[in-house]
Amino acid sequence: MPQADTRHFGTIQYQEADVFHFPRGLPGFDQQRRFLPLAFPHTHPLIFLQSIEDPGLCFITLPVLAADPSYRLELAGEDLALIGLPRRPQPRIGEDVLCVAVLSIREDGPTANLLAPLVVNLRNRLGVQAVSQNSRYSHRHPLGATRPAAREAVAC
Amino acid sequence: MMSRRKGEVILIGDEIEIVIAHIGRSRVRVGIRAPRNTAILAREVKLVRDENVAAVALSPAETAGRFLKILQPPADEVSVRHEAGK
Repeated sequence: MPQADTRHFGTIQYQEADVFHFPRGLPGFDQQRRFLPLAFPHTHPLIFLQSIEDPGLCFITLPVLAADPSYRLELAGEDLALIGLPRRPQPRIGEDVLCVAVLSIREDGPTANLLAPLVVNLRNRLGVQAVSQNSRYSHRHPLGATRPAAREAVAC
Repeated sequence: MMSRRKGEVILIGDEIEIVIAHIGRSRVRVGIRAPRNTAILAREVKLVRDENVAAVALSPAETAGRFLKILQPPADEVSVRHEAGK
């Protein structure tokens, strides 16, 4: 079983089938293509995206619906094609794709990047950081601005 | 403001040329010719890049707790909900 060294979680054993592959990398990290999603009961509902190639690179993410229960995906055709999905209909969050927002801490407090969520096709685990076609979403959405839906009900 | 037709060019300084290559219903495609060391990015891609870089500047150990304080309801609320679900 392959294993990855990580700065924050020690050495992790994983299966190839668990890996998310981002063919274009993420903006700012173009060379990092392979990430492992990690979730723990005590840090629910956070999902850590740990780079397999860079032990020190780990994004903390949150299912977009936990940040904004009414979030609607509007992906560009180019992004859909990259992860092997048709242009129409738009993929369903939690059924066709995992859709998570990168969390950050800015001067004003914790924020979620809802402008450009990470979208992963659940069938082939190909992913893309997709800039939403709907520009009303912010790249610095204040976390806690909308009360999260009931914990158990949140789909990724 | 400046209006341009398909195929027309805008110059920025001596070294940067922008060509209106195609005009669609709601999008235009532009061609850009610039010196090799000029970064050319859609604005939102730069926002996303800056946001990604800022996001991983802090260690998860330091930040996860701050996120969870907002996201996780207090312990007693959780136990009530679990009982209600039985």
